[in-house]
Amino acid sequence: MYCWKCGVRLAEGETVCPLCQTRLPVPDGAVETKKTYSDLYPAEAHHAQYLALGLVTAVLAAAALSTLLLCLKLYGAAAWSGYVMLGCALAWIILILPRWFRRPSPTLFLAVDFIAAGGFLLYVCLKTGGHWFLSFAFPITGMLCILSLCASILLRKLRRGRLFVVAGLFLALGGCCMLAELFAHITFHTRMFLWSLYGAAFFGAIGALLLIAAIVPALRDYLERKFFI
Amino acid sequence: MRPQWFRLDNAALIFPAVMRRGWNNAFRLSATLSEPVDPALLRQAAEDLRARFPSFFVRLRWGFFWYYLEQTEAPVTVREEYAYPLTHMSRRELGESCLRFFCYGNRLAVEFFHSVTDGSGGMVFLKNLCARYLTLRFGISVPAEDGIVALSDPPQPEELEDSFLRHCGQRPLRSTLSAAVHLRGTVEPDGFRHLVCGTVETAALRAAAQGFGVSVTAFLAAVMAEAIIAMQRERTPLRAWRPVRITVPVDLRRLYGSATLRNFALTLDVGVDPRLGDYDLPALCRQISHQLKAEAVPQKLSGRIAENVNPQRNPILRAMPLFIKTPVMRMVYAARGEKGGCLNVSNLGETALPEVMRAYVRRFDFVVGVQLTYPNNCSVVSYGGATRINMIRSIRQSELERRFFSRLVELGVPVEIESNRR
Repeated sequence: MYCWKCGVRLAEGETVCPLCQTRLPVPDGAVETKKTYSDLYPAEAHHAQYLALGLVTAVLAAAALSTLLLCLKLYGAAAWSGYVMLGCALAWIILILPRWFRRPSPTLFLAVDFIAAGGFLLYVCLKTGGHWFLSFAFPITGMLCILSLCASILLRKLRRGRLFVVAGLFLALGGCCMLAELFAHITFHTRMFLWSLYGAAFFGAIGALLLIAAIVPALRDYLERKFFI
Repeated sequence: MRPQWFRLDNAALIFPAVMRRGWNNAFRLSATLSEPVDPALLRQAAEDLRARFPSFFVRLRWGFFWYYLEQTEAPVTVREEYAYPLTHMSRRELGESCLRFFCYGNRLAVEFFHSVTDGSGGMVFLKNLCARYLTLRFGISVPAEDGIVALSDPPQPEELEDSFLRHCGQRPLRSTLSAAVHLRGTVEPDGFRHLVCGTVETAALRAAAQGFGVSVTAFLAAVMAEAIIAMQRERTPLRAWRPVRITVPVDLRRLYGSATLRNFALTLDVGVDPRLGDYDLPALCRQISHQLKAEAVPQKLSGRIAENVNPQRNPILRAMPLFIKTPVMRMVYAARGEKGGCLNVSNLGETALPEVMRAYVRRFDFVVGVQLTYPNNCSVVSYGGATRINMIRSIRQSELERRFFSRLVELGVPVEIESNRR
């Protein structure tokens, strides 16, 4: 039997052309032949991974619960166990949660990680009676979250120009250093330009180098040739 | 007695380092016999090869500085074939054995983790497995010719050597290729591999290749390149076009007179840059044939070997613990490993068998698993006047196969297609 679209002859037993998916008429009286390939599928081999994840989850949960019970026994209240519990939850969300999924979306989980980190910082702020969350922790966490999400989306979606994205990320990180010190200055009245200039210079230099390499293909090729590992 | 162990050969070093949770580098060789395969006899035949082929019955082990292969005494297990070839070999499985034996109907198959051997070495093993099986099944006596060895002889040292180290050149030859186009598609979520096998008459294929004045490998690579160029033209805007190159493995045994059964092949990325203008099939054939002829010479290949062997000999790199080496090797592989080519066209060539075996062996098949970054691969083997072109893919779309096989038909090479369609 020949596929009239592709012109190939189909082997015995093939009723659909494997190349163009055209269904071909089965001649009357055709006998069913044994399939060339088996119908057996391998078992999903993720048990060990899920077992390991379950064990780590259990260890984190046990750590959180035992500190809570200890605090309740000693002080009659949750006291410092809240930090441990939320710390364990944060570790679980960042390290374990994405591994439960076969194809975790990096963008989604980055956002979840930053929200969880922000929540943890808010708890610490409220618990310690500090007033630094809105003016310091929130803007910095938010800034890093937006940067990471943008980089993650662009690096995954763009086919070309990824070096520009990485260069932009480094330059933005340099800017973030300055802003972080500004927020610290506003919140804690620390001196300005104590450390942020070093960070900004470091990230800015790397970003500028990458940007030049991205703009000049000859330089990119030269660097690739010279620094190939 | 302590089990024998083997250092990984130069080409094999990269494979354990770069394997992923759902992917590693493996290939499959199978033979279809004239009657159904008896699994118990196949198991016995495989066990009988153990002493003669010590470098095959091995498991992957982790040293402090390098991976290595250790002989295993675990009994051979013969499994029923799965619906698709080259199901994932997990680290755990490789820690038990680097070989798998399958049977289904008249077919017996062996899947090799690539650190053990390459296609030519694997074919020697498969032919000897078939010979032993036929001896046990029919009582025939197979002479030691056409790749069949006497099982009573001890393994020869040259069969176990790392020929890369012996034939390494003085000066490294660095290849700096820009990234080639990589096809994309909808990945099968359960890891299913679609296999389409096109059977053509070897004489017709050879005649078509000779019509363009090139070898069969160059001809198949050119037809494949033509299909990829057409797909790129339809799918991608001009500014995003990339070179189209086919990765062609070259068996170095004949060039250097080596008898090793370990890995001893290098790949050449041959093709054209469609951004420079249109290439018709004769032009593609000429280009690819010239590139293959120009690159597959011992002097250049020795340089390429030196380029690969030098890092292995570097004292600083050697002294690095494996947990540092592994991510470095992964980075190198990500940056360069599969960058230069669009897909493999791996041609094992004509397989010969002793006269006495030919009546019992109907066909051979060769399937190379998909790569990490591109979803299609093509492998070819000829036997008994027929050439089997196996195209495997991890995506749903079969456009490349359709274009490739339809083009062969247009060129006067009749193709018969079978698949593992589910």
